[in-house]
Amino acid sequence: MTAYRLPAGGLVDRAAALNFTFDGQVMQGFAGDTLASALLANDQVLVGRSFKYHRPRGIVTAGPSEPNALVTIGSDARTDPNTKATVAELYAGLEAKSQNRWPSLKHDIGALNGILSPFLSAGFYYKTFMWPAAFWEKVYEPIIRKAAGLGRAVLERDPETYEKCWAHCDLLIVGSGPTGLMAALVAGRAGLRVILADEGFRHGGSLLSETTPIDGAPATAFVETAIAELETFSNVTLMARTTVFGWYDDNVFGALERVQKHVAAPSSKLPVERVWRIAARRALIATGAEERPLVFGGNDRPGVMMAGALSTYTNRYGVAGGKSMAIFTSGSAGYRAAADLAAHGIDITAVIDSRADSTDVVASGTRIIRGGSVVDTKGRLRLSGVIVERSGFEENIDCDVLGMSGGFSPIIHLACQRGAKPVWSEALQAFVAPDVGAGLRLAGSAAGVYSLLACLKDGAEKSQAIIADLGLSTTSADLPAVGNELNPSFVSLWYVAGAKSKAFVDFQNDVHVKDLGLALREGFGHVEHAKRYTTNGMATDQGKLSNINAIGILSGMQGISPADVGTTTFRPFYTPVPFGALAGTSRDEHAAPKRVSPLHGWAAKNGAVFIDSGLWYRPSWFARAGEKTWRESVDREVLNVRANVGLCDVSTLGKIEVFGSDAAEFLNRLYCNPFLKLPVGKARYGLMLREDGMIYDDGTTSRLSDAHFLVTTTTALAGGVMSHMEYCAQVLWPELNVRFCSVSDQWAQMAIAGPKARLVVQALVEDDVSNVVFPFLAAKPVTLKGGLKARLFRISFSGELAYELAVPAGYGESVADAVMEAGKAHGICAYGLEALNVLRIEKGHVTHAELDGRVTPDDAGFGRMLSSQKADFIGKRLSTRFGLTAADRMQMVGLKPVDKDKDIRAGAHLLREGAKPSTLNDQGYVSSACYSPVLGQFIALAFLKSGRERYGEKVVVWDRLRGEETLAEVCNPVFVDPANSKLNA
Amino acid sequence: MASLIHCPHCGVRPKEEFSIRGDASLVRPDPDSSDETWNDYVHIRANPRGRYREHWQHVAGCRRWLVVERDTLTHEVFLVTDGSVRAWELGR
Amino acid sequence: MVHQFQERHALEELVPLEAAASADHLAVVVRQAIVTVLAADGHERAVASVLSSDEDISVRFSAPGEWLVVSGAQTPELLHQALSALLGETAYCIDQSHGRVLLRLSGPNARAILAKGVGIDLHPSAFQIGQSANVLCAHISINLALVGGDQFEIIVMRSFAESLLHDLRQMGRAFDLSVSFSP
Repeated sequence: MTAYRLPAGGLVDRAAALNFTFDGQVMQGFAGDTLASALLANDQVLVGRSFKYHRPRGIVTAGPSEPNALVTIGSDARTDPNTKATVAELYAGLEAKSQNRWPSLKHDIGALNGILSPFLSAGFYYKTFMWPAAFWEKVYEPIIRKAAGLGRAVLERDPETYEKCWAHCDLLIVGSGPTGLMAALVAGRAGLRVILADEGFRHGGSLLSETTPIDGAPATAFVETAIAELETFSNVTLMARTTVFGWYDDNVFGALERVQKHVAAPSSKLPVERVWRIAARRALIATGAEERPLVFGGNDRPGVMMAGALSTYTNRYGVAGGKSMAIFTSGSAGYRAAADLAAHGIDITAVIDSRADSTDVVASGTRIIRGGSVVDTKGRLRLSGVIVERSGFEENIDCDVLGMSGGFSPIIHLACQRGAKPVWSEALQAFVAPDVGAGLRLAGSAAGVYSLLACLKDGAEKSQAIIADLGLSTTSADLPAVGNELNPSFVSLWYVAGAKSKAFVDFQNDVHVKDLGLALREGFGHVEHAKRYTTNGMATDQGKLSNINAIGILSGMQGISPADVGTTTFRPFYTPVPFGALAGTSRDEHAAPKRVSPLHGWAAKNGAVFIDSGLWYRPSWFARAGEKTWRESVDREVLNVRANVGLCDVSTLGKIEVFGSDAAEFLNRLYCNPFLKLPVGKARYGLMLREDGMIYDDGTTSRLSDAHFLVTTTTALAGGVMSHMEYCAQVLWPELNVRFCSVSDQWAQMAIAGPKARLVVQALVEDDVSNVVFPFLAAKPVTLKGGLKARLFRISFSGELAYELAVPAGYGESVADAVMEAGKAHGICAYGLEALNVLRIEKGHVTHAELDGRVTPDDAGFGRMLSSQKADFIGKRLSTRFGLTAADRMQMVGLKPVDKDKDIRAGAHLLREGAKPSTLNDQGYVSSACYSPVLGQFIALAFLKSGRERYGEKVVVWDRLRGEETLAEVCNPVFVDPANSKLNA
Repeated sequence: MASLIHCPHCGVRPKEEFSIRGDASLVRPDPDSSDETWNDYVHIRANPRGRYREHWQHVAGCRRWLVVERDTLTHEVFLVTDGSVRAWELGR
Repeated sequence: MVHQFQERHALEELVPLEAAASADHLAVVVRQAIVTVLAADGHERAVASVLSSDEDISVRFSAPGEWLVVSGAQTPELLHQALSALLGETAYCIDQSHGRVLLRLSGPNARAILAKGVGIDLHPSAFQIGQSANVLCAHISINLALVGGDQFEIIVMRSFAESLLHDLRQMGRAFDLSVSFSP
């Protein structure tokens, strides 16, 4: 036992003991612990195995930059792999497991990889497993995948819920350490709408482990007073457990709030995590600085930790990482840590300072080795000592923990996520944020200001500057008194010469100094190449600890400045964000909104089987008792419509009312066929083209009065046509006096089709609907018996005598019920999308299966509709270009299999009889196919080169996917009632 | 993740409320114009780096077509105006 | 055969007729009249001024020269007739009473609930009483109006009402949002 809980001190609640398990072993911590501090308190320093070599690894940091202490938390479906123990808040019953080890953490056979390490150097994936190709997929990859890696995701459905939320503020402050707190106090007092976000579960940042007194009291008292004051401001929002992970356009920030990650049984009322989009007029980044590790032989031994983290564990959590510690430092910060630790009675065996000429001292009179360096470490699963070299002499120093401190890097990620590159500061020996404009400023240690007093001052001043910038008045800030601070100076020490074993740069990815050298020698020295070649800075920590040393090493090896090496690209997210949180509530059936027809209830009670159709939820067919397959239902519906009458919900069609003295002129320019002379009370089928001459959409348009039209669109393009019309009216022809709006949701619309349709319609409608008064293409307002105002259209998609009846949506179901009742005597049935599709294929009517954006009016048999009289319409000019009028274009035809028992499927291609199946011999394709119960065989609509000249010819229908070839006869695409006698009956 | 567009009619809105059509400098040619002119109008698009004017529609708001002038590299938005106002200005 | 047709609300059977109201409550309005008014070209200002002077109606901004006019007192037919008579040739009036669903969200947490779907700033200083806007709520277009201190009205297309109701219930679950029909 070496690491232990100190008898007193820290911000943990010693009255609230919490039991948890690590690899099945029950342990105890306190409320206020992280999992890492609780593991240390239980002397569990070894927490994982490394990615590639399976080397034993221990806790290194006390924060989100942790490369090693990645554990799997939870069980079954509630399992989170790769969770940093250093930020995971301890709760009663927490179950944690170590990762990437087998059979156990202590005895891991994967550690053989370490012995094989000469073969696993940088770029080994690219070099080793190139041949034979089949081996890659079957042998190498499975082995590597099993051996290398971190935690494993579970396959169960995630039972947690997530949500997203917007927030708006004048000032977003990221980080509630001394800088952020002071800035928030100043801005809050000035009345700004402030959001103060901190990733920790307790506000205060570095102040929570600070030993320097503020105003003569512990720093934590200052935090409590400040938070208490901020809580009184209604204009200030405090957000703990919230990581601001990204800076996006227009000063919108992304943040992840861990709402219930710290509770064993999440409440169903709250999400487990919440993604915030924070629109901030100004942002102040007070994210502090990262202490740098040192790169020396054996620096990955469990027990080698960041010096600052050791202070944090003792000061904040009351935990000592070990009994006897040494500190290896290249700056003054190591002495501060030594003093903190010594104050808690921990034996400091030595402070090894790489600087020969430093003058720092530790009050306790600890041994200081100036100009010394650690060249190797001892121990197996746990550090037992270090080998220190000075002036050519080596010395063993016993210790169970080594703290390392290599200086500081300001945490500038957010400022560099929108393309601006970090700037090397020779004075600070660090990359600092470039000027990214007034929207985002950095303050405190994130801006390279390291002393406590300077941070408080910088936070206050930058906050005041922002207040002034926003045009508000500010009061002077009273800065608290801070005494007895240590100097934070350091010299850069990128790597320690004379390493006797592997000196790791990136712990998480097992990258050591030699890997970087190899990358450089093999031509991958550019910092972005080196990252990919060696994997330095990849995976969950994205090189928070390792990148700066890798840059320093690459610069040293080339004899250039780190400024000339530069950094890799900073991108969101700062720390990993779960996919679930990004999806929020938009998942499963709620991934997109569901649109419900006003006739949904009618369809449901008539036995509809529904199908997703875009956002709509539409009846596919109406199953009746005894029908075993969908085809039985559909065949019955089709035959009944052809013989009697059926009712189909067509409410989903887009409906747009168009008004204005130029309404007719507008539609005339919008459609390729003429609309100026459409009589009032009449509907006309219209084709809209795209400007390139291809068909865009089709539908019927009715003239309700001289300057009032009703346009219908297909269901699929209702939104697109509306936008297209708005573009034409607003941008192309703003001079036209035309206004329009969508009424798609106002009307329930039902098609009543079949030879007996008139009998049914007349039973409900007051007005005369006879063929004389209400002929094909009549379109008029009518009154239903009982007084309800409705609209009636004599249009037909099925080819039968048909009406479409539109009533205000709320009455839809009741009217549909009445239609069914009235139709009972005439054998009415409900029919769905499938039957509708068969009916229209039999009639040769097109849908977007035919109008797929490659089809001209002439291709689809509408050549005569293209008006040559009109001066202009959308698509007119390019309709006349050579390619669109070529004689061998594919034209719409019908197909019937020669063998009546064969079927045809949409998507198949057409070949000349005897031609080799090949795309070179392609003659066309099948756009729609179905079984026609009227013809008693499969039929299809297809596009065939010069098709209209080839009726009677036999072609091969080639279904490459299913390996089928079917001989079919080309025919007129109108299979049923080509003379339109039923339509006009 | 996010960006904001200042609609001249509705105020500051998330970009999700908009759909983008493209180059707003195009002027629909006269029906009698040459093949080249029409081909340019319908098919040929520049992909400039820097300042660019595009047609955006505020689909989930006022449904007006807007002209958004922005930098394609930095996505800094300089000006948003109503599309028909601009069409009038261009004398269309 | 004479029919007395029954009207069915888009959220019938999905919302209780009555329920104990929490502090935060979503009322689904059973009957309302909603008319789209489109000003004829050149009459935008005149129409706006006529509409704003009528105290019996509530006017919601949709777009330049386009409003949704809401009345709780009148039937759709009467509102449509009244507006058509009032505005004459200066505007086109289109009845949308069946095509829209009106929801009233009120309570101390109404803004916090809406912030889970709506991207605009709803702080009282930014979105004031009487203001209205077409906005996106998660994936659904709505018209949102602040009609009282913490009382919002939402107008949504009928076919989207069921999905929006689901979303609002999700958004309000932390605050025990109650839902019921309201006359």
